Amino acid sequence: MTVTSQSTGLQADEPANGPAPSTQSSGASRAGRPGRGSHQSSRRRWGLEFGHWWWALPGIALVFAVHYVATGIGGFFAFTNWSGIGSFEIVGFKNFEAIFSDPAKIHSLGNTLFFAFGSVLLGNILGLLLALGLNRVVKTRYALRTLFFMPVVLSPLATAYIWKFIFDFDGPINTLLNTIGAGHLAKPWLADPHWASWTVLVVLTWSSTGFAMVIFMAGLTSVPNEVEEAAAIDGANLWQRFQHVTLPALRPAVAIAMTLGIVQGLRVFDPIMALTSGGPAGATETLATEVYKQAFALGNFGGGAALALVLAVIILFFAVLQQRLTRSNPED
Amino acid sequence: MTQQRCSAGFRLAALAIPTVAALALTGCGGSSSSASDAENQEFSLTFATSNTVESPYEALAKQYMQEFPDVKITLNPQPNDSYDQVVRTQLQAGNASDVLVTSPGSASGRSILPLVEAGFLEPLSESAAALVPEGSEALFGPDGKVYGLAPEITVVGLVANDTASAAAGVGTFPEDFAGVLEQCGALAADNKSMFAVAGTAAPNTGLLGMQLAATRVYSKDPDWNDKRAAGEVTFAGTEGWQQALEAVVDLKDAGCFQKGAEGAGFDVVTKALVSGNSLAAFIPGPSNKQLKTTADDQDFEVRGLPSEGGAEDDFIYASANYAYSINAASKNKEAAETFLEWLAKPEQTKAFAEIDGALPVTGLEDYDFANSAYKNVADLIMDKKYTPLPNSKWSNAAVYDELGTGVQGLLTGQKTPAQVLEAMDAAWDQ
Repeated sequence: MTVTSQSTGLQADEPANGPAPSTQSSGASRAGRPGRGSHQSSRRRWGLEFGHWWWALPGIALVFAVHYVATGIGGFFAFTNWSGIGSFEIVGFKNFEAIFSDPAKIHSLGNTLFFAFGSVLLGNILGLLLALGLNRVVKTRYALRTLFFMPVVLSPLATAYIWKFIFDFDGPINTLLNTIGAGHLAKPWLADPHWASWTVLVVLTWSSTGFAMVIFMAGLTSVPNEVEEAAAIDGANLWQRFQHVTLPALRPAVAIAMTLGIVQGLRVFDPIMALTSGGPAGATETLATEVYKQAFALGNFGGGAALALVLAVIILFFAVLQQRLTRSNPED
Repeated sequence: MTQQRCSAGFRLAALAIPTVAALALTGCGGSSSSASDAENQEFSLTFATSNTVESPYEALAKQYMQEFPDVKITLNPQPNDSYDQVVRTQLQAGNASDVLVTSPGSASGRSILPLVEAGFLEPLSESAAALVPEGSEALFGPDGKVYGLAPEITVVGLVANDTASAAAGVGTFPEDFAGVLEQCGALAADNKSMFAVAGTAAPNTGLLGMQLAATRVYSKDPDWNDKRAAGEVTFAGTEGWQQALEAVVDLKDAGCFQKGAEGAGFDVVTKALVSGNSLAAFIPGPSNKQLKTTADDQDFEVRGLPSEGGAEDDFIYASANYAYSINAASKNKEAAETFLEWLAKPEQTKAFAEIDGALPVTGLEDYDFANSAYKNVADLIMDKKYTPLPNSKWSNAAVYDELGTGVQGLLTGQKTPAQVLEAMDAAWDQ
């Protein structure tokens, strides 16, 4: 056997040729190893592809185990009555029936949607305004951009505790109201059944505005300057320029900001847990906080897993919906 | 070999070697600890801490190590908030400490009965059985076995700041509930409050609810919990419970709680008690010791909440709320059991109770009530006018959670007593 057919016998009788017949191994064979051109292509047929697959296997196994198997096992427990320790029995859909017949759980579902859509809407509007304001002209805009983006990178738990202090009954806000003579407005903001949700919404919006601002700033760079100037020359005022030139060009950015915002907003946990722990009396409970409470604090792992499954389905629904809506965008 | 293949090979090696090394080291790290202390008198102890004061668990472990220099105890303190979850996760994963602190009953994540059912605890010897308080045997394990060693008796009533009470003009504590309501009005006018309540902390609001139920449910019917377990009574159907929760609303309307009580946390309660702005709080008896270390010049005492009928009807809760247990999967059971035998001795239980500010589990007849923080409840204890904390016998932790959040709902006006009791019944059957 010749040297060229060390790896397989397939190309053993092919004449050794310099430029390889296929383009894939052109790099190696043109590097001046004419004798190994056919060797290269024969190795490539089963050697190199097989190698790729082997190399990826540990990574694939890890992702599969951590993401899919772990989630699947959690989903399985949704159909059991496991308490977190000891034995369990399969109870079918009993946990789900309990969820949909409990007004407290339905209320927490409503809260989840309220916080998600509320914080996304407000965060995006404020983010857009900030992005427009800090797009050009303002001299300190770089420093201001950093300041406005900082809430996004700070730990949500740490900032939530600071907000809790601010909204405390003896905290800065009530003290301020008392000093300016509006003491009758002072209330326990995070423990008032009507105001607790809005207070939490303020904190959630505060943390997500910077993120939306950055996305919109990136989107604004794609707004064509000349078209804006042309519109201005044609007599369009600020609002008309915004409506007909800027906003259409920003549509992809809006889509991205809303998708990311909603998916994140639906599963927010740290700030709510730190601010109110779902109180007062369950007024600010969301599906995420209920999952934690049921599964870990109250030893009802099956019920908590069922809630988690419901939450996952809701998030999936909105993520797919967003994808559909943005894909049908004619500008894309 | 070409240039490309050389550098590609190096890059691969540069990525692969540290990854493989990291995985190998994690694998090795886990197994080294268990191998070393199999032979020696070494074991680990885990317990919950709520503050920076040295806990009696730590103090006694150190004393044991001093008395027996061969022994090494690894202390694993956990914050109280997450203790239940951490212990359960560790037991489930098999890497829990050899000795752990549990609670008798079935009320919380660290309770003995569910852990025994899952096979995580080891039955203990006669010395532990001798320490089980009378009437609490069922809380320490099924079938007459004992799975926990109780080091102290915790009295749960009110902790009152006597110094501040005198300063606020409340020389003698009101005798009955009507007197309490009257006193609240007078104090509120003075910008003080009778009680400090942490509305956002379910354990505190839960204790408030249970204190009111002490003289309205449990003094009249001590077997109420057993009847509930058998399904003969319900929370919603028991007038005593209805009255207890209506009393929460009465207290609120009379201005007995501090302003902003529904949104307060434990820190507010401590501050209010220490500064004298509130006279009493619904916290466990041993807290008097911790408050004293914060405010040395004030006197904190344990009292019962005055009943509607006056002193003859007073009732209080006293039980062993914590116990040492041995992990069934422990590899150092002999060392752990020797430690528990030592702990069961009267000198140790007395020392434990003294450090923690609680009552000793044995020798109550000789206890010097008159010179302790428990002088006001001495009669109740000696006349056996007490029962274990009710929630330790409830079917699961969700019932007590519903009570705690329900009382917060009563403070904010979101819920009515009937709604709270119905929710508790629904949670019982979960």
